[in-house]
Amino acid sequence: MTETHAKKILVIDDDAPIRRVIEVKLKNRGYQVITAKDGQQGLDYIYSHKPDAVVTDINMPLLNGDKLCRLTDKLKEKRPFLTLVITARISPEERAWVQKMRDTQLMEKPFSPARLVECIDAYFKRQSS
Amino acid sequence: MMDLRLFKDFLASLSQVFPVNFDFRDVKGQVLFSGNKKVSLPVSRGLETVGGQVTRKESFQYLRIEDKYDLFGMPILDKGQVVGVLTACDTGFEHDVSGPKIYPAHHMEQLLTHLAGLIEDKLSSLDESEALAEELAQSFEDLNLYARIATQVKTLRFSPAKLDELNKDLLESMRVQMAFAFMPNRSEYNSLITTGEIDAKITESSAFIEALINAIPPDAPALVDNYFIVNNSSQTPGYQKMHREPFRFLGVRIQYGGKFYGWLGMVSFNLKEIFRQGEMHLLISVAQQVALVISNSDLYRDLESFVINVCKSLVYAIEAKDAYTRGHSERVNRCCMLMAEHLDLDAEQQNVLNWASILHDVGKIGTPESILNKPDKLTDAEYEIIKAHPLKGYNILLPLEQLADSLPGILYHHERYDGRGYPQGLQGEEIPLYARIIAVADTFDAISSKRAYRSAKPGKEALNIIKEAAGSQFDPGLVEIFETVFHTSLVEEEQQDNTPTSITLQA
Repeated sequence: MTETHAKKILVIDDDAPIRRVIEVKLKNRGYQVITAKDGQQGLDYIYSHKPDAVVTDINMPLLNGDKLCRLTDKLKEKRPFLTLVITARISPEERAWVQKMRDTQLMEKPFSPARLVECIDAYFKRQSS
Repeated sequence: MMDLRLFKDFLASLSQVFPVNFDFRDVKGQVLFSGNKKVSLPVSRGLETVGGQVTRKESFQYLRIEDKYDLFGMPILDKGQVVGVLTACDTGFEHDVSGPKIYPAHHMEQLLTHLAGLIEDKLSSLDESEALAEELAQSFEDLNLYARIATQVKTLRFSPAKLDELNKDLLESMRVQMAFAFMPNRSEYNSLITTGEIDAKITESSAFIEALINAIPPDAPALVDNYFIVNNSSQTPGYQKMHREPFRFLGVRIQYGGKFYGWLGMVSFNLKEIFRQGEMHLLISVAQQVALVISNSDLYRDLESFVINVCKSLVYAIEAKDAYTRGHSERVNRCCMLMAEHLDLDAEQQNVLNWASILHDVGKIGTPESILNKPDKLTDAEYEIIKAHPLKGYNILLPLEQLADSLPGILYHHERYDGRGYPQGLQGEEIPLYARIIAVADTFDAISSKRAYRSAKPGKEALNIIKEAAGSQFDPGLVEIFETVFHTSLVEEEQQDNTPTSITLQA
């Protein structure tokens, strides 16, 4: 239980079962997980908890995932972290704005939880090397 | 240990209010959280002892030390296993020496039983929620797999390569060691993907697969739902001797609209896992999808070959009218396709050129035989009739949608690069590329083969005539390409066989 060294992941999704699925998958992988139920809470937690990676939905109450990415992009200058955006359909427009964001990746729904975990693992592996 | 923050706060508050200190330790004796009250060293050692006893005996323990300290321990069970110990000790003495107010041990036992029950409840609901989340995660995997497969098979022309990709996906997502499609009558679709470990175990894979399928009893009840499962080959009649190591096997029928194509199946030597219901249903719908696309693909191919045959018939119809142009369409087609290779045309463009060149003279169907086979010079009026054949051909083929892209090549194949051709007098690059290519090939074949009005000229001579017309009649760039084709391919054929009419239509 050396959770102090575990990377901290923030999961933002308004859909509770999806939040829980990602949380359990990441926890079982040894990550420390915090969850937020909408974009606004997600934004607050990014400031207060300083997560090492963020997994976020796009369509959410109060604050959408794409807006959240734009608002937090500047933070990554000083403290880089991965943002994994889960979207219903990857469109060229979506690809375009995601490309402009630092350390941001897209994942299409229905996503594979196993691949999501792999994707986050791969990011930390790249970072440490 | 799971998330017990709520209990930590709860026990801390209880310890504040009552002269009792609660703490919670794991089975190794490590204190995970404690009620924040100071206890003396003997008490803390005593609690360790109680903790150890509880873990060993898996039941409530009570210990009194130094004749005044009462220590209690209660196991916390999760799925019948001791996962921690809730301990309590009386702290009244630390503050009030005068009077010990000892709770009778059975009261404390009751209190601890209730507390332990609450913690166990929380643990099991956490477990349950985690199990549900895992199940949901698995459904997400299935859904993801299904979405990927649906995109893959959503194509009109299904190919064996697609089945390989599909099996690769199934292999990964279902954590099996072998995924295959077996279609006895459509062996082009047979596909097999395995992991390295199984290759060492099964050397004759195709024989193994055939044995798996052949051993399915025809009266197996599951076949009503189009599947068959072997969970452990060593316990299933017919499967025992197939491999010395026991394996599990799931096969589903590839079947659509009453037409049976074969089996989609998977094999694993890992008997710790079983084929889940969800996986089975998923595989059944995947197999249905596969059958559906194969059936559509067949229909599409039938339709396509019907159109091809209709077109061939049209070509044969003109050639039946005009003895001199027999084989002309095929030779022009062949020459055009050879030129296409030097022009970097993609498959789709080549297909368009293919049809335009085969059908370029279809309009001659409307030209009287007396004119086509006339040995003398044509009158102006007769020449006007001949000149109408590109437009006639265009009109004849207009109703065939599949040929829409080839029509300009047919309509304009008598245009000249200098603008003096027919029917519209288009000039240079205004003339569609396909028409410019056909013009070169068509003229070459007309010169080098026998016509009603003159005898055949040798290929070299015909080439020179073409070269002289570069820039006037023909696109000079294409003439250069034609020359290359002539030297590399056509000249050899001429030497090998002096009757170029023997080239047959290939499509």
